[in-house]
Order: sequence, then structure tokens, then C-alpha cells
Amino acid sequence: MSDSVVAARNIEVPLAAKAAIARLMAQYAHAIDNDELERWPQFFTAQGTYQIIPRTAYEQGHPVGVWYCDNRDMLEDRVRSLREINVYEPHVYRHVIGPTEILEFSGGVYRAQTSYIVVRTMHDGEMTVFSAGRYVDEIVLETDLALLQKRLVVTDSARFDTLVVIPI
Amino acid sequence: MTQVISTRVLPELLQWPDEGIARVPMHVFTDPEIYAWEQDLIFRGPTWSFLCLDVEIPAAGDYITTRIGDSPIIAVRRPDGGINALVNRCVHKGSIICHQPKGKRERAHNFVCPYHNWIYDFDGNLTSIAFEQGIQQKGGMPADFDKTQHKLTRLRVETINGLVFGTFSDKTPKLKDYLGPVMVEHIERTLHGKVKILGRYSQFMHNNWKLYVENSRDNYHPSLLHAFFSTFKLNRLSAEGGTRQDDKSWHHITFTKRYTDKGDAAYDSGMLRAQKTDYGLKDPSLIDQWMEFPDQITNSIQSIFPGFVLQQVLNSLGTRQVITHGVDKCELVWTMVGLEGDTEEQTLVRGKQSNLVGPAGLVSMEDGAIGGFVQKGIAGDLDKRAILEMGGIGVGGMPTRATETSVRGFWKVYRELLDV
Repeated sequence: MSDSVVAARNIEVPLAAKAAIARLMAQYAHAIDNDELERWPQFFTAQGTYQIIPRTAYEQGHPVGVWYCDNRDMLEDRVRSLREINVYEPHVYRHVIGPTEILEFSGGVYRAQTSYIVVRTMHDGEMTVFSAGRYVDEIVLETDLALLQKRLVVTDSARFDTLVVIPI
Repeated sequence: MTQVISTRVLPELLQWPDEGIARVPMHVFTDPEIYAWEQDLIFRGPTWSFLCLDVEIPAAGDYITTRIGDSPIIAVRRPDGGINALVNRCVHKGSIICHQPKGKRERAHNFVCPYHNWIYDFDGNLTSIAFEQGIQQKGGMPADFDKTQHKLTRLRVETINGLVFGTFSDKTPKLKDYLGPVMVEHIERTLHGKVKILGRYSQFMHNNWKLYVENSRDNYHPSLLHAFFSTFKLNRLSAEGGTRQDDKSWHHITFTKRYTDKGDAAYDSGMLRAQKTDYGLKDPSLIDQWMEFPDQITNSIQSIFPGFVLQQVLNSLGTRQVITHGVDKCELVWTMVGLEGDTEEQTLVRGKQSNLVGPAGLVSMEDGAIGGFVQKGIAGDLDKRAILEMGGIGVGGMPTRATETSVRGFWKVYRELLDV
């Protein structure tokens, strides 16, 4: 084996930061799955970006996916729209999150990636693997609170069943 | 060209109601035999179907795979710059030849079937069969097997403003004649520069393909089903509206216009910033736009028979291609585009407005579900008929959105092609 092949990037992360990031990941998923969507924008910084983009588009460098918000107010408009306006059959998500890999720390920003699977359960009981992919995140710490400065949801599939009204 | 086999003839399957196109028999959305005839008489019939964007296969040997109805298609750039479209099905065993979504055949301008290495040139000619002469004088193809008698089906191909269309039939009029001047002018107006791709995704729907195409032509539903625009008072952006069709009512444009006089401060080439106080949005930058089109049309949905849509929602431009998946499912492939020369800010505006469309579209996500609602609703009552009388019982353009004239136009063509 060549010495130039690096099996793993070992980033030194203070325990407190590691714990804060783990809490962010867990709380984000539970807020969505437990229908506490009003909490969802609070996981982002005021100028935080949230995008859902298919893996093919992401790898080809295309800028446009299916969902793009570049501040917390836009996230809140989304929540209001799904609560009050959009028409869809009731359904819930269940997120299963993999371990977070911290890729880099620079300028006060952690770059990280985390795998997820979302199972969608419709009101009539029909269950589907709705989406699988990874979060590509930029995370900042405000004291012991970790916030998303950027979350790209890179979906393995470019095909979305019916509609995407609840965030992933 | 009739390919349908083991299927009853259409007069046995489908008797159209006496009321004509003001009624639609529900079983056209559920009957697999009717679906088989549609593949034959519509998708493989005298119609043009969208294949890809010209920019997706820019160089010789670049190919992309797609479908027309159920038929798998390869679109490939020839060395002379033209585009060929071939049915992606080996004449030997029927395997698809290209199993990649897109790729490049750079050195040898040919396609090799992965199963038994039968080789085709870009015109679809069978040029080589592995072990044709056998191995050590044993086996091989019979001496009288004539490769020239076995070719890939090759489609006619034409392009307009970067959109590539294909047709199976020799009877289809030339593309511009098929579209008619009103449709041609609108395509040229919407794609007013060289197209570049900003993103691509698809939406899978649990309904017959025709329910989506009807929806794309239905200018009666948007302000009723899609409440986003009215709730956030964005409909003030579009006070006037109407419907345009080609002479034969095969194709359709529904549009809304900004209610602004020329000379008004809002009517210039600069960015129109939405004011927070005007709308209920916490961040109205979602609908910041620039008046890209001198005709002041802010939304237009152009539906080309059978399954292509060109959209402009504010500054969000894109193509939608309907792919059939059996009698009760279909897929809508969206390609979001910008134009060469867009500024960085304009690209951002197009990106933000892409929130309005697609499977997560604040305005249009319901279209992914509503066809499924109909498919579920009609399941027990296939003898029933849909009623299409909004705006009368005829076809033709109308200066209003309170009409189903273009949905009736769809059924007019449908009946002509199926002869029912």
C-alpha cells in the first residue's frame, strides 16, 4: 500500500463540539419526525442555506435542485406554506441518521457529512423509502449550541415520489 | 404502423359519449388495452415527442437515453453535427443497447450491445455480429443471414431553439408545421438565448399520463388548487390572463400578464424587488424578478401534444417531459434552464424561483398529487364520465382563465388519433 493513500481524515474535534453537533443531528431529525416543524428553522443560522439537490446534479455542479432557501425567513415561509396552504395527503417521515463524519474545521466552521434514510408513512399506512442520501453540512458553534450555516441534502435519487412538502 | 398485438380493436374498447369532447369516459385512464393502443397511435404515431436539450449532447459521439412513451430511445450526436434518434433495443434479443443515462462513443462511432456484442453504427445499421463466421469453422450465423435487413428503428429528428424532438412516423408534418406559428413564436420567445442547464430531477406520479397532460392544460384549476399565489397576494403580479392555441387546438399556452403599463417604473430591465409590506411572505426575495420578456407575461405554461411542457414561472424557465409508466403511473422529467449571458444575480433569481415549481414547488407541488386523487376517485366507477364544460364545449383560444378549452383540445386530438 502506498503511504499517500489516506484511509481516514482524522480531524481533532473538542468533545464539547462533538457533543453539540451530535445533539443538532438528533434534534433536527426528531423535530421533523415528531411534527415539530416550527422548530426546524431554528437549527439554522439567520443567513443559513438549505437545499435539496439530487446527487447527479450535485456532482455535475448544477446549482438548482428541488428546494432552495438562503435564510431563516424563507424556511419559516416554507413551514407556514405547508401548514396553511399546500394540499397533500397526511404523511409522516422517520429519519434514520448515520454517524457524522467531520471533514474539516476552518474559520470557525465545521464541514461534515451524515448519511440519512427517510421512510415515509402515509395516513393509510403505506410505507415507502422516500429518500436516502447524505447531509453535506457547514456547522458553526454559538457557545455550546451547534447551528447549520448550510445544509445540502444530497439525495441519491433524482426521482421524487408525488411531492416533497416536509423538509428532509 | 400497428404494433399492438393480442388487444381488442378500439371500437370494442372505447365508444365516445354523444356529448363529444365535453365528456371523457373514465376508463380511458385505467384500461391497459387502451393504453397499448395509445403507445401505438399516439407515441409511435404522427406526433413529435421531446427527446433532450441540444446542449446535453454537444460533441460528436455524445449520447443520452430517454423514452417516448414506453419505447427506449438513444439520441446521439453524429460526427457531422446532426442528431440521430434510435430505438434503444438490440434486434437480436431485444436488450437495451445503452444502459447508461448518458455517455460518449468517442473513438468508434458505434453502439455495442452488451449481451452478445452486436454492433450498430449511428444510423442504426447492424455492422457486426460477434462470431458471425463461427469459431474454428463451427457454428456462426447462416451464410444467407443478411445484416442489412436488420436495423435499429431510426426516428426523424428536428430541433427548435435547443429543444430536440423525435417522431416515429413518416406522416408527421415537419416540426414547425406540427407546432404552428403561434407555438413556434412562443418557444422562440421563451428560449430567447442559448440554453444552459441549471438542474434536473423528476416527479413520479400515481396517475395515468393523460391526467397530468390534462392538468398542464387546465387553466381553470391554478388559482383554486394552488393557494400559494393568492394567499401571499402574489396574484396581483398577474392580473390578466388567457389561453392561446394553434389552429387545430393540438397545443396550448396558458399565460398571465403583469398589469403594468409601459412607462411604469416597474417596466424596465432592472430587478423588481418585492416589498415585505406588499405580501405575507417573511422573505419576499423569493419573488424578486426582472421583466425578462417585453410582452410582460409573468407566467406561461406551453403544452405540446402529446407530452411536452415548456414553462416560464416568473424567471424560472424549464422543460417538462411526460414519461409513461403503465396505465396508472407516470413520471415528469424536469430540466431547469438558464440562458448563456445570465448574470450571477439572474442565475440566483432563477434558482430561488425554482422553489415555486417541481415536486417541492410552493405553487405547483399539488399537481404531483392531484392526478393520484383522480385515479383513486374513479377506481370504482369506470362507467362514469368527466364533465368538461367550463368556457363552453368547444376549443380555441380564449381571453380568460375560466375555461377548459385546452383540455377539450387535448381530447379532440386524442379522438382524432385513436379514431374514436
